[in-house]
Amino acid sequence: MFALKSFLILGAFPAGVLSLWPIPKSMDAGSTFLKLSSQFNISISLQSPPSDLLAAVETTMYYLKNDKLERLVVGRGAYDVQDVQDAKALSSLKLSLEEGAQVNSISTEAVKNIGTRSEEYQLHIPADGTAATLTANSTLGLFRGLTTFSQFWYQYDDQIYMISAPTIIQDTPAYPFRGFMLDTARNYFPPTDIIHTLDAMSWVKLNVFHWHVTDSQSFPLELAEFPELAQKGAYSSAAVYTPANVQNITTHAAAIGIDVMLEIDTPGHTTSISASHPEYMVCNQASPWSTYANEPPAGQLRFTDPAVVNFTTALFSAVAKTLPGSLVSTGGDELNINCYDDDAQTQAELKSSGLTLEESLSKFTQSTHGALIAEGKTPVVWEEMVLDHNVTLANDTIVMVWISSNDAASVAAKNYRIVQAPSDYFYLDCGAGEWIGDTPEATSWCDPFKTWQKAYTFDPLANLTDSQASLVLGGEQLLWTEQSSPNNLDSIVWPRAAASAEVFWTGATGPSGSPLNVTEALPRLHDIRFRMEQRGVKAIVLQPLWCALRPNACDLYA
Amino acid sequence: MVPKLTFAFVTVLATFSSVDALWPLPTSLSTGSTALRLTPQFDIQVDVKGAPSDLYEAVARTKTYLWTDKLERLVVGRGSEDATAISNAKYLSSLTISLADSAEVRSISEEAVDELESRDDSYTLSIPETGSDAVLKANSTLGLFRGLTTFSQLFYYYNGEVYTLEAPIQITDKPAYPYRGFMLDTSRNYFPVSDLERTLDAMSWVKINNFHWHVVDSQSFPLQIPGFTDLAEKGAYSASSIYSPSDVAHIISYAAARGIDVIVEIDTPGHTAIISEAHPEYVACAGSTPWASSANEPPAGQLRFTEPVVVNFTADLFTAVSKMFPSKFVSTGGDELNVNCYDQDSVTQGTLNKTGQTLEQALDSFTQATHGALAKAGKTPVVWEEMVLDHNVTLSNDTVVMVWISSENVAAVAQKGFKVVHSASDYFYLDCGAGGWVGSYPAGNSWCDPFKTWQRSYTFDPTANLTADESKLILGGQHLLWTEQSGPENLDPVVWPRAASSAELFWTGPALTNVTTALPRLHDVAFRMRQRGVNAISLQPLWCALRPGVCDLTA
Repeated sequence: MFALKSFLILGAFPAGVLSLWPIPKSMDAGSTFLKLSSQFNISISLQSPPSDLLAAVETTMYYLKNDKLERLVVGRGAYDVQDVQDAKALSSLKLSLEEGAQVNSISTEAVKNIGTRSEEYQLHIPADGTAATLTANSTLGLFRGLTTFSQFWYQYDDQIYMISAPTIIQDTPAYPFRGFMLDTARNYFPPTDIIHTLDAMSWVKLNVFHWHVTDSQSFPLELAEFPELAQKGAYSSAAVYTPANVQNITTHAAAIGIDVMLEIDTPGHTTSISASHPEYMVCNQASPWSTYANEPPAGQLRFTDPAVVNFTTALFSAVAKTLPGSLVSTGGDELNINCYDDDAQTQAELKSSGLTLEESLSKFTQSTHGALIAEGKTPVVWEEMVLDHNVTLANDTIVMVWISSNDAASVAAKNYRIVQAPSDYFYLDCGAGEWIGDTPEATSWCDPFKTWQKAYTFDPLANLTDSQASLVLGGEQLLWTEQSSPNNLDSIVWPRAAASAEVFWTGATGPSGSPLNVTEALPRLHDIRFRMEQRGVKAIVLQPLWCALRPNACDLYA
Repeated sequence: MVPKLTFAFVTVLATFSSVDALWPLPTSLSTGSTALRLTPQFDIQVDVKGAPSDLYEAVARTKTYLWTDKLERLVVGRGSEDATAISNAKYLSSLTISLADSAEVRSISEEAVDELESRDDSYTLSIPETGSDAVLKANSTLGLFRGLTTFSQLFYYYNGEVYTLEAPIQITDKPAYPYRGFMLDTSRNYFPVSDLERTLDAMSWVKINNFHWHVVDSQSFPLQIPGFTDLAEKGAYSASSIYSPSDVAHIISYAAARGIDVIVEIDTPGHTAIISEAHPEYVACAGSTPWASSANEPPAGQLRFTEPVVVNFTADLFTAVSKMFPSKFVSTGGDELNVNCYDQDSVTQGTLNKTGQTLEQALDSFTQATHGALAKAGKTPVVWEEMVLDHNVTLSNDTVVMVWISSENVAAVAQKGFKVVHSASDYFYLDCGAGGWVGSYPAGNSWCDPFKTWQRSYTFDPTANLTADESKLILGGQHLLWTEQSGPENLDPVVWPRAASSAELFWTGPALTNVTTALPRLHDVAFRMRQRGVNAISLQPLWCALRPGVCDLTA
């Protein structure tokens, strides 16, 4: 009944929700204009509000005043002049926690174990100018509500106003893991780019930054216990993440509701370690690279060697200690067997130990994962560790499906928890042509380009049984950076990465009760793009402005 | 056969190491292996009587780039690799630039907008290894400008020193094709003047000499034209999203001072829906739905060219536009005419009935009127290929035809004896491969998928399927950016360094280009562009950029 009522309201006033992304799970929106009083303030009814909540309130106030988004209609802001003039003024938003809720910082809440974070909130904006209220069970929930609140407002001629009062929202994410992955090894991104990406992530309620920090091309992560890795493996002494940088990034992320999940991809994708430890490396920069690796340079850890097992285990212990979150990825994708077959030392070690390569890999993995578990972390791996190899993994290991969305069912059949990261929906780098040299006719391996529409229509539960559905923690869009750098980071990621943010926050159905659909979503995505641009993120235009000002006029059958 | 191949291979390798900084590659080049550095007082002497101010400005920019590019050589170890060589290097204190004795002294800006085939871009540049003065000579200030551009690419930077490892250097250079262009659509989305300036700068760095400005289209009309100001007033996206006459004059002079001619296109009679905002009576099927029945993309709307009032309006519009642009070329467009739109339009059908003309005959009258206006203004018309291949319109022999639908269509245009500018979507469209942008269409893909890589454009053959005589009709070519999915936010990353690939193809000529050896130089271009403020993207992981050839397919 509630769903039906919501649907009718949405049908009558579709404009009322054009500004929210992700769309709340449950919402009732009116069509009354409401402006912000010049004395508008946000109050917190907490004895001692944590500093990151105070900072979030300050940031929200800043966005309210500086987004300066004129509504996306023909005529823009001028279209609303009369309605704004007649509107009542809102003078405050009151934040409070539910009775009995524990007062922690956002930062503390943001790095709790996945599945135990409380992100839900209730937001009520009355039409008559009486105070708006935001309540939640946690400061993290309040942060999500503030994010929603900041998206309601348009500006014209110094008036800041919304067009959909009264609004009542009860919101909670459908999935606990909503991520974005950045590869900082193929090309380096200064910490400022990461900070700025985290900000954009928080605007669409993403909550996990999957940091693929190292790979075969470079090792920018500076570790106190292993200084030689970055010293010799980074692109330059300036292209590193110092312990202070990492701390700054994890602190900034947590304060805006984001957990940082670091990945040190092993035992493949590790050539950059050879710069400091050539003795740990098999088929180091062997040629032709295509015999030994999926991309240049070739080189993998010799995991049959006890010294390598000890080194990698100690590396993960050291990494784990620097991170507040509970998730650490050991990678495990694209292992090239040929590389080990051709390596005399590997073969000799297998012979003397009597182990097969797979048994040795299992031993290596148990050692690295053991180190993580000892530090209180949950290991995360790419799908091959479950589907292609015969390694023993803890039951709570999280598996990222990347090769194809079709592989999720096989992972679920083995009863592992899943993060959806399939290249056929979520790889942001696909479709940019081949980057390997001397290949004039080649296209991107995962061609074509994955549009926001494609990503948005991903079904997180496709081919899974009802009982397997709970294994899906959520998903993420990913940027591998062979062809990206600070110069195109924003434009390749935004607003596309907002597509999965809504898929995994809102879930299968929107507040109207009907399934999410790209037709309804596009005008809202235009809105969030304009807001991102105003906040300093170079999100790209999805259509000619002519289309953005005329919702649905540029749809296929319009 | 085998020894000959081996010889060719060795030559390529030898050339390879000595020119890794230059783009486009000069048509004749010899280099040595002696290090040479600039003195801190390094100066460029202009030995030209009555030298124009734009030449002095070009010299000043060159001197700035020499010291601010700060490009460390792209090798493992970067600039430190060269520390010893630099410390032993002789100093170069001066470059002298001069014109040939017989040359008339004109400004770069005047020469840049001369008749296309009469522009002289050639120059010679000599840099002795002894430290004695370098010498740049040309027949024109435009040629001197090209030489200065080359000179600024020769030097690397390390630890306060600006140096080359390749002295002595001898270059004799001139373009293979007179037309090397870049097209930008400023109608689907608007680009502020500052974006155009930056783009013109980047174009000049790779010796592109024509800016094809697709300034208006069905979505918006940002061009403010004296006498027709209602078009932008009602058709621009906003009062601030316009190009005023003074903006246009500024863009033209900014371009000309950098050796670039601005060719404006007012696409007609299709792609004109936005004119209906000011003149609804001039536009057939304006905003009609479903748009897909009457246009290739929304919104539908085309000029009602059967109406004498529309013919007069459009001819006068071109007369007015011609006065704003000094270029000898103006494009009247002419692509993607939707016949269904006219079939359904009662006004058009009524007029055709009355005059007894066919639609094609009316189109011919219209085109002759607009092209007649251009001819009267001293302009040469430019059209898209459909005007020659799909329609039966009378065009003057000197009309320039842009082939865009497919590179396969070049031969058909050449067979009709028209001059051709290569603009083929299958090689040169920078917007391809970004997915569909039409809404409510999750399975939609880019119509011209896949993405056109720099390698793809670079290996285009300008004279494929042409006879020797037909080949003479090829003026050159260009990369193009249609901006349904582009705005100022991604202009640089979508365009650069990719658009440099056609710049080299049409300057250096296909005989001297090689996609394998080009990549390290293109990395160099991208790094230099970034340092000069253009957000050119990385083509590969830096690991590859520092190891030429190592990330090739069979490496």
